[in-house]
Amino acid sequence: MDASERELFAHAIRRATEDRSGVDLDEALDELGWVAALAEDRAAAVAILFEAQGEANATSSALDQVIFAALGVPGLDPASVVLPPLRSVQAPGRFDGARVVIQGLGTDALARGDTVIIVARGDAGDEMLVAPVSALKVEEISGLDAALGLVAVSGELERASPPAAALIDWGAALAAGQLALGHELVGNGRAMLELARQHALERTQFGRPIAAFQAVRHRLAESLVALEAAAALLNAASDDSSPVTAAMAKALAGRSARTVARHCQQVLAGIGFTTEHSLHRFVRRTYVLDQLLGAGSVLTRHLGTEVLAAGSLPAAFPL
Amino acid sequence: MELAEFKAAADRWLDEQATELAADFEGIGTLDQQLEQLRKVMRLAYDAGFMRMGWPERVGGLGGSNLLRAYLGETLTARDLVEPGIYSMPEVLAPTVIDYAPAELAADMVPRLLRGDENWCQGFSEPGTGSNLGALACRATHDGEGWRVDGQKVWTSLAHYAQRCVLLTRTGTPESAHRGITAFFVDMDSPGITVRPIETMHGVAEFCAVFYDGVFVPHDRVLGEVGGGWSVAMDLLPYERSTALWHRAAYLQRRLEQLIAAAPAGSLDPMAVGEATELVWAFRARSRATQRRLTTGETLGPETSIDKVLVASAEQAVFDLVAEGLGSAVTLADDPVSQRWRAEFLYSRAATIYGGSSEIQRNIIARRLLDLGADR
Repeated sequence: MDASERELFAHAIRRATEDRSGVDLDEALDELGWVAALAEDRAAAVAILFEAQGEANATSSALDQVIFAALGVPGLDPASVVLPPLRSVQAPGRFDGARVVIQGLGTDALARGDTVIIVARGDAGDEMLVAPVSALKVEEISGLDAALGLVAVSGELERASPPAAALIDWGAALAAGQLALGHELVGNGRAMLELARQHALERTQFGRPIAAFQAVRHRLAESLVALEAAAALLNAASDDSSPVTAAMAKALAGRSARTVARHCQQVLAGIGFTTEHSLHRFVRRTYVLDQLLGAGSVLTRHLGTEVLAAGSLPAAFPL
Repeated sequence: MELAEFKAAADRWLDEQATELAADFEGIGTLDQQLEQLRKVMRLAYDAGFMRMGWPERVGGLGGSNLLRAYLGETLTARDLVEPGIYSMPEVLAPTVIDYAPAELAADMVPRLLRGDENWCQGFSEPGTGSNLGALACRATHDGEGWRVDGQKVWTSLAHYAQRCVLLTRTGTPESAHRGITAFFVDMDSPGITVRPIETMHGVAEFCAVFYDGVFVPHDRVLGEVGGGWSVAMDLLPYERSTALWHRAAYLQRRLEQLIAAAPAGSLDPMAVGEATELVWAFRARSRATQRRLTTGETLGPETSIDKVLVASAEQAVFDLVAEGLGSAVTLADDPVSQRWRAEFLYSRAATIYGGSSEIQRNIIARRLLDLGADR
């Protein structure tokens, strides 16, 4: 996409996410040709949609589409992909003799669909299975963020023979999903920052808007710094297509969004603690997204462990 | 020349000249040694053409994108050939002189700086005005064909080595704030200038107090307009937060890498290592995006305050780890390599203070980027 196409596309996507969510948003994304955009310019399509989705606190089946596309299996009909269990990055299936034991999470789109894709860890590498959703146990989760519509997915299947596809690159699929969630976390953070900013300008104490107080201003400034750092690293990771950079970017986006949640909750104070105000939706989403496809803390500790074991840093993206 | 071509040529040349370019001292060295090394590297790189790339032809450059300069500083730093703080000073001062000095003056002076024949300094801070730059008091008054400067500057890096200074003075009334400031390009050997180095806790006396006592500056040394010094300063500061910071990213990456290699097993917390690595990578990503905006001709502005807050956080995160993983080097040992770790650890404590404190950067972010209105 060139700059003007990108701007038009972003505008249309933003309008769609502002007043639609779930199935409605999926329909709108179909009409806007989001999947085609994903195939044509993944970095731009992912950044635009997931930031907008995060800002609007919306849901869609886009995460499934991103991971499916990154699995890159030709001739396969699009379907939802089972996600790893909370905090984990491991493929959700594991072989146990001729059976595959599945334990993971799914989006609300997975629960609505007919077919599901499962990646399982084999001895020679990761393999892919395609199964009817009805073959698995799918349970709704309310939890911290019921509006996100996550489901718990579990069950056991026969090992496909021959496998549905040759070995699968779960690492690449995971990295693509991590970048998408990273952008969603940044969008989610931008929404919290805007809510806090508006409040700081409107709320008057001691005869002036609280935005005039440096203690408040600096919290909001720190929030913007945290978000821009994460956004920059996500963009660099998209250019770089290194799974190590993608994991770093996702971890940092989670940490940044948690920083923003803390500062904005403080600035929004009493009103932000009520369900009358929308802040709580974004705070809830922050903490759940931070734990999906590798919790930020897990990814960061893993990075540090790898760096110490290797005695050197990973290759950095060039100028 | 394209970036890829430049990278290959510069790295080939640096490989070939490795012996000649290498420093002849171990550890951090004295400031004399650092500057001698800087002069040598800049002269050789200038004569080979690399130091002239990315600078306009009217000041002795060979043209091309700013990315070429960014890469040269990156690779010189990554090879430990220059100290990035002093190497990057031309990135801040040369664009100001190119943009605001009379054309002949810029054409005469800038090549001397790029070739390493001269050092320049930047006279902004004063004892009474650190963060509040608009309140500066160093006075310039009309005197025949020029101006007389009286006052004091402080924290002027390398003033004791510098031949020239980009100096901010008060030419309006004391109440004129940012409207009554004029910038000059001053010869440091002018009668009436006294330079006193400041001893700092990291042990390298790179900062100075500079006293101006009736110093005559000819009228053709005004940078920009009389009374227009604030815009000179505001245009300069983003340069301080762009290419110079890309060089600093290379430095932080190198020192983190060296720390990881040198720290005894078990001395570093994997979580802290992961966090510092992510911060350095994020800063690098942010600085790269800034470089790319410069390339497209975009004017940099208050958004570079984000880059400055990030570099300070990343630098302190890296050197907090140094104090853990190389605790004995930082606290006890006196060999040259340990002394360098100690000096750089101590210098990192100032990362949130110099070049506009982190608080000032947050004020700028709040007012200019978040549109939070005035803070009083």
